Amino acid sequence: MENKKTDKGGSNRRNFLKLGFMSSVSAVAGASLLSNFSLQDEEVVESGEKLRLLTPDGKIVEVDATNINKYPEALVTPEESRIGIPNRKFVMVIDLAKCKNARKCVEGCQKGHNLDYNEEFIKVKLMQDNPETSPYWLPKPCFHCDEPPCVTVCPTGATFKRDDGIVLVDNDRCIGCKFCITSCPYSARIFNWGHKEKFDDKSQPYSPETSLPAAEGTVMKCDFCPDLLRQGKLPYCASSCPMGVIYFGDKNEDIVTNGTETVSFSKLISDRGGYRHLEHLGTKPNVYYLPAVNRQFPLERGFDVEPDIIDRYKDVPYVQDMKSRGEI
Amino acid sequence: MNIENRKRELAQEFSPLLEKTTKASKIWMGFLIAVILVGVYAFFVQLFKGHIVTGMRDNVVWGIYIINFIFFVCLSYSGAFISGILHFIHTPWKNSVSRIVEIITVLSLIIGPIFILLCIGRLDRLHYLFLYPRIQSPITWDIIAIMTDLIGCFIYLFLTFIPDFAILRDNSEKAAKWRQKVYKYLAIGYQDTPTQREKLHKITGTMSAMVIALAIVAYSVLAWIFSLTVQPGWNSSIFGPYFIIAGLYSGIGIIIIAMYLIRKYYHLESYIRKVHFSGAGIILLVISLLYGYFTFSEYFTRWFSHKIHDADLLDTLFTRYFWMFIFANYIGVLVPIVILFFKKFRTVKSITFAAVIAVIGLWFNRYLIIVPTLETPYIPIQDTRAEFIHYTATWVEWSLSLTGVAAFILLFILIMKLVPIIPMSGIIDHERGQAKRKKSIK
Amino acid sequence: MDKQREKNLLNKLELSNLITLEIMKSKKYTYTIITSLIIAFFINFNGFSQELDASNYRMRLSLNSFKQSDNSRMLEVSFIGQNKEDRKDKLPVFDAVIKYYNEDNLLGTAKTSKEGIAQFTVPEGQNYITDENGYINFIAKFEGSDGLDEDEDDIQIKDLFLELNLKEVDSVKTVFVKGFTKDSTGVKTPLEGVTVVVSVGGMLSKMKLEEVIIEDGEFEFEFPTDIPGDVNGDIMVYSTIQDSDDYGTVVQSKSVNWGVFKNETVKEHNQLWSQAAPIWMYIVLTILLLGVWANYLYTVIYLFKINKEGKEIDREQVELNTEL
Repeated sequence: MENKKTDKGGSNRRNFLKLGFMSSVSAVAGASLLSNFSLQDEEVVESGEKLRLLTPDGKIVEVDATNINKYPEALVTPEESRIGIPNRKFVMVIDLAKCKNARKCVEGCQKGHNLDYNEEFIKVKLMQDNPETSPYWLPKPCFHCDEPPCVTVCPTGATFKRDDGIVLVDNDRCIGCKFCITSCPYSARIFNWGHKEKFDDKSQPYSPETSLPAAEGTVMKCDFCPDLLRQGKLPYCASSCPMGVIYFGDKNEDIVTNGTETVSFSKLISDRGGYRHLEHLGTKPNVYYLPAVNRQFPLERGFDVEPDIIDRYKDVPYVQDMKSRGEI
Repeated sequence: MNIENRKRELAQEFSPLLEKTTKASKIWMGFLIAVILVGVYAFFVQLFKGHIVTGMRDNVVWGIYIINFIFFVCLSYSGAFISGILHFIHTPWKNSVSRIVEIITVLSLIIGPIFILLCIGRLDRLHYLFLYPRIQSPITWDIIAIMTDLIGCFIYLFLTFIPDFAILRDNSEKAAKWRQKVYKYLAIGYQDTPTQREKLHKITGTMSAMVIALAIVAYSVLAWIFSLTVQPGWNSSIFGPYFIIAGLYSGIGIIIIAMYLIRKYYHLESYIRKVHFSGAGIILLVISLLYGYFTFSEYFTRWFSHKIHDADLLDTLFTRYFWMFIFANYIGVLVPIVILFFKKFRTVKSITFAAVIAVIGLWFNRYLIIVPTLETPYIPIQDTRAEFIHYTATWVEWSLSLTGVAAFILLFILIMKLVPIIPMSGIIDHERGQAKRKKSIK
Repeated sequence: MDKQREKNLLNKLELSNLITLEIMKSKKYTYTIITSLIIAFFINFNGFSQELDASNYRMRLSLNSFKQSDNSRMLEVSFIGQNKEDRKDKLPVFDAVIKYYNEDNLLGTAKTSKEGIAQFTVPEGQNYITDENGYINFIAKFEGSDGLDEDEDDIQIKDLFLELNLKEVDSVKTVFVKGFTKDSTGVKTPLEGVTVVVSVGGMLSKMKLEEVIIEDGEFEFEFPTDIPGDVNGDIMVYSTIQDSDDYGTVVQSKSVNWGVFKNETVKEHNQLWSQAAPIWMYIVLTILLLGVWANYLYTVIYLFKINKEGKEIDREQVELNTEL
């Protein structure tokens, strides 16, 4: 009798404990689950601003990414930026045989200069010189011409050519008359039409060498990234290109590099038949192109991009052909 | 003939025009002020939101504002040119129109640069144009030219006002006190003595010669803003002369329209007579033939030598801008020629109609010079955003254009209240000359 | 990633429930209840702070040796955590103390940077303990901490001497490269079968001149005559052995004044695009403006004369009137 009672009481206690135990475990597990989800929300941070590091104790922390330019010591004021890096003459060579419209140059430049999606300092055009030849992708930065029509027409001297060949825009002096935009035959310049929040970012002082922060009502363009050059690094476009299409270097020391290959500039141009765009206009650009021969990729690989970007090229005859055949 | 009495007569004849404002006139001025206020609102919208409210984007960076600027400045320069030439011509009928021409000159030179200011991205930095000027830039030349020309034309206008202010000062006892004070101050002690008259005549002569030269030089500078670039459609060697002729074309057109309106609404049929319209019509005919010739040679040369970028530009003109091209360069040229060529077509109304067609056609011609070239650059545009490929003006730009026109008309009306539109001193001089000739014949 | 975490948590919840069921079946369930509670808490505690510790990352410590031009040796350690699920997610360890040993000798310590790299330079005259084949055994050790396990890496490097000489022989500019190892008695053994790259230094990178597999410990080649060098004509020539199994990375460099520098920079003055305009523009502009504004001045002077005359006449009139 007693046994039965204790047994029954024991089994009741067991059940109660089991219930309590199960509920407590699930409660704690559920709570941790919920807290995990909430932690996940907190953890989403903007990339590019913070570095995730592991401390020696094994904890993950976030620190501010070190400013790439090491301001304020490295600041080049607008007056100083007119002088240029001494004894250099910068030149760029773009190998059209390797370009497949990956657009990493565009994205790298946009990231480095804090540009919006549609603002492009380097643009990739689809050019078809005549109906018989195959079209080719043309990455087109500012050519930093030796006889720049844009510098000639600026009424206030806001855009200037330095001794190292780079043409910069001083946003502190530009009055926004847009004459330089109309006189550039290569359509290299863009204008800031309205106010954007990023203009109010005062975290770093303005320098024409970084083109940051941009200003409303002024002109901006590709600047060959002098701030990176001063640190011995390639411009954003050259280092972002996965195919090594963009070579950059100094004509004075006759060396250009795309990050992996380093070659002699004069040999590269003479061996591969380097040419400049619209040479007959007499602007003497400093960006040379190597013709699109022995292409590494078929042209169609370049259409592996967003539809709104493919839509840009709708006037090229080749694209119209492709559309009529239903390939795009 | 007693000159003093004649002066009194003229003053009495013209004073009502200056002092009284009819109801219709008040309503009309109210309407103009309303248009101007809408424009001021549009200006503030643009000031605070930035130029994104206009239709201009990265490729077509110059739109309606620059077109209006060129249009008004060309009116001004042609006015200066014509008034300078009129000064040296001694015909009886020049008197009635000379002041109209001079006022048009000065007013359009005030309104025109305002449009340039609207196109500038950073108005807070305008003084940099004077602190850090670069004289290799055509814009610097343009600024110097416009400022010099404005001051020159203003001085010239004032010189022609002085004798009339003197007449009004001496003969307006019944007018309001403030008016009498203004007349006395602005007449700078001119008593119409022979010595004063001679001095005034001398400086007016040199100023008018200068103004003619300034007009040509300054408008060529404006043309060079476009033709010194390398863009297809702009890099033309005849842009300087072409712009001058086109300027004269619209200038005479506006003068005819102004003559017609003033004659009608101020009942000055006795002063602005058919002979004026015929004369102006013949000049318009000659200029329109020249204008048609220049326009034809521009486009014919491009079409014939069909360089690829010229061919692309012409393609744009004939597809996207087809009707505008037809109106500006066919209708705008041929209709005035047809109307003015045949004597029996030349009535006051038809000449004015031809002038209207001429002026509107010229405005579209300016549009066709500026915008299609910017839409067909050397390197194809290839952008995803439609507003970056083709230019469409927004309400801000249209309303500011209308404001410019309304301000022009309003200022014109206000000046007509200050000084009679027909120079009284001119009438006096003419009659004095006639009397002398009669005496010498006797 | 989120789905993975969810799965983990659900797995753990299942696990904890399974454990409890198992425990329920045993007889000594009180103690097991307590332990399982503790285990559940532990699991959940880990789950709670899962994003804050490195249990998802596998730590990799790797050691490399760089022998530099001044014959010092730089020992570089990279200490980075790699996400077990996503190999591209790398987490560098910052401020970790790395100890460098040659056998049991402590050579020194260094701390990792924000990129997880610790560098320690051993000076030239260091005496190393070598093994019987002449290899120096370098060990880099991270002594573990609460959150991270102890980790170490070691490499065996033979000390290689790389000599670079640039001499003009018979008026031909020649580059001489010699490589040898020295044993304990000072006997030199020439280098065999290793790739040596000779390059010149540019602003952003080095340009390769020759790549040779060295035989008999030396090679020479003719230096090209069209390299500009820097503004003084100096060229920095590098001879490099990159990532060799036996020798690590060895670099030797020398500067030579064989550059044919031609300054391509043309200082332009008084051009359309320079700051100062062509002289003739200044002249023409001055003449035009002087002419025009002189005329304006002339006009204004005459206006004042007219005004003066008018005032005189007025005065005369007043005098006449008062006389009368």
